[in-house]
Amino acid sequence: MTSTTQSTRNRLDRAFNPRSVAVVGDKQALGYMWLRSLSSFKGKVYSVQIDPGEFPGIAELGVTNYLSLLDIPEPVDYVIAAVPRAVAPGIVEDCIRKEVGGVCFFTSGFAETDTGEGIRLQREIADMASAAGLNLIGPNCVGIYNPEIGLRHTAAQAYGEKGSVGFIAQSGTHATLFSILGEQNGIKISKSVSYGNAVILDSTDFLEYLGEDEGTEIIGLYVEGVKEGRRFFDCLRHVARRKPVVIWKGGETEEGARATASHTGALAESGIVWQTVIKQCGAIKVDSLEEMIDTVKALLYVKPIKGTGVGLIAMSGGQAVVIADVFARTGLEIPLLSQRSYKRLAAFFNIIGGSYRNPLDISSTFLMADNGASSLNSMLDVLGSDPGIDCIALELFPVIRPLSKDAETADPILDAISDFKKRAKPFIIIVTTANSDALATEMRDKLVQRGIPSFSSFERAAKTVKKLAEFYQSRKALSQN
Amino acid sequence: MPSKIISDALKNGRTVLTEVESKKLISEAGIPVIETRLAKTKAEAVSIAKKTGFPVALKVVSPDIIHKSDSGGVKLGLENAAQVGRAYSEILSAARQASRKARIDGVSVQKMAKPGVEVIMGMSKDEQFGPVLMFGLGGVFVEVLKDVAFRIVPLVRRDASQMIREIKGYPLLEGYRGQEPANITILEDMLLKLSDFIDKTPAIKELDLNPIIAYSDSAVAVDARVILETQT
Repeated sequence: MTSTTQSTRNRLDRAFNPRSVAVVGDKQALGYMWLRSLSSFKGKVYSVQIDPGEFPGIAELGVTNYLSLLDIPEPVDYVIAAVPRAVAPGIVEDCIRKEVGGVCFFTSGFAETDTGEGIRLQREIADMASAAGLNLIGPNCVGIYNPEIGLRHTAAQAYGEKGSVGFIAQSGTHATLFSILGEQNGIKISKSVSYGNAVILDSTDFLEYLGEDEGTEIIGLYVEGVKEGRRFFDCLRHVARRKPVVIWKGGETEEGARATASHTGALAESGIVWQTVIKQCGAIKVDSLEEMIDTVKALLYVKPIKGTGVGLIAMSGGQAVVIADVFARTGLEIPLLSQRSYKRLAAFFNIIGGSYRNPLDISSTFLMADNGASSLNSMLDVLGSDPGIDCIALELFPVIRPLSKDAETADPILDAISDFKKRAKPFIIIVTTANSDALATEMRDKLVQRGIPSFSSFERAAKTVKKLAEFYQSRKALSQN
Repeated sequence: MPSKIISDALKNGRTVLTEVESKKLISEAGIPVIETRLAKTKAEAVSIAKKTGFPVALKVVSPDIIHKSDSGGVKLGLENAAQVGRAYSEILSAARQASRKARIDGVSVQKMAKPGVEVIMGMSKDEQFGPVLMFGLGGVFVEVLKDVAFRIVPLVRRDASQMIREIKGYPLLEGYRGQEPANITILEDMLLKLSDFIDKTPAIKELDLNPIIAYSDSAVAVDARVILETQT
């Protein structure tokens, strides 16, 4: 496998880390979206446009325009083509002659339209690119995002910082949404790519590339289908052994009715086979963008969860009941604590208006108490050293007086939380909506700024803990094999 | 090297192997199957049954009849020569009635397997990922509850071990309520052999071993169905 991996990496390096980018066909009607997104790009940006009506707009953005790719006086590492589909073959030819590192076709209207003309044009550009060994991404996609060097596909994406999460998406929307929503959740991207119709480069190529990429520690993948299933399977198994890979498979329910003569054939429908592939390779399966965000977040910020015993802390008696229900229903255990833990809790816990079996209802000891922060710290300590607890989940309320209003009291609480995160067991924070969406969002943002991303409901938190516990369990089994 | 059973069938333009052929092929792969012989006459059926030992099962052998029991083509638990003779005639006339054009090779005769835990193993091909192996408990568990697990071929030992433990009915294999438990290692070995065989035999398109009867010291395939790829 190493020889292909090696060559894919070398092959795609120029496109993923370009020093010069050319945009072909950006125009007023698109709001110059490509040239504007590239305002952050660290290298050189060129425009290729033959319509004189567009020249002033391009000049206004401070970008040099050429009439052809071939006129650009220096090598071009990465090309973004936003041209009408009929022109696409000509652009492919120019890219080949210019020996570019890669080209992304934003242009759509190919095989996805299921029209004769679209299919013919797609075959034409695929044949040309394949014969010349051109790194063609797409068509019908938004291509590469590399925040470190400011290579973006929308001006709404962050740039300047280098993250550790790689993302691969068939769909441009999902690539864009993940990068923006991820940023709000403390998930920073190393490199991401959307690859559309995948006529040349497919998810497997990108998985191979990001698998080898040293800056990428976790990989997320949104996929609808793959061209070479076996190659994808082997690649996934190889990559998942070294880095967590989270897979969101779209189009699972779509099921081609097949004529089969065996029981096995009738039962092995495509959705089940994909589940099998993900499981067998040791990757993690998610079913939505939310789950993708939650899972990647936990992989980034939560220590490996070694078992299913959770210690729960809730802000009131009512919430304590509900959090226990949700975690138990998800298949997690909420064990009683050790005698030693109970002794330690008894020393400071206010049981008038509270309780500490597990879950801990801390309304009177935290919410209504003056020394809430230090008590919280002690509780986290006790749970952290209890042998039956593999993971701690703490509910925070946006209506909590200290956190939402009073900065002086808020800080020690945030300190208690962030400090704890560094030294003890896996620990997650849930900011429930309580009585205000706006306040909850504000609090979640505050936490992200402190490097403590939270989960927004008991359900999402419990599901994530379960998924991660299973993942680390299967990883252990894999490493022992 | 493809088995002669496969090449013969394809030469005759057949992609559905008969039970006798399927079992022979599976047995060549090193998987225990219950010995099954083809009888072309009533006398032959009786003589095979006597050699095999009673009770026996008789099944119609025809490349054109896939669902044997639906068309009255299966008689189980036959205790003596007279019952075998009568079953032979009944099966043939039922088969003729079900399909006049069906080619009927005869009737298969096999010893009734003693009761144990029934499981199913099978293979089908996925358009994107190729051969996929299935494991489950037999009978209603697979048909109604779809309590099955899959793995992409080829399997490693861990895959075999996990897929058996993955099904909801796993406790039944461990000997539920005093029943004889199934030997899990033997089932794992069988899955690995099957995976290996499928990996080496791309001419097979679909396969069912249903049921396999599992005991504490062995397991044996009682019925087998193999479907070949159409030659192009």
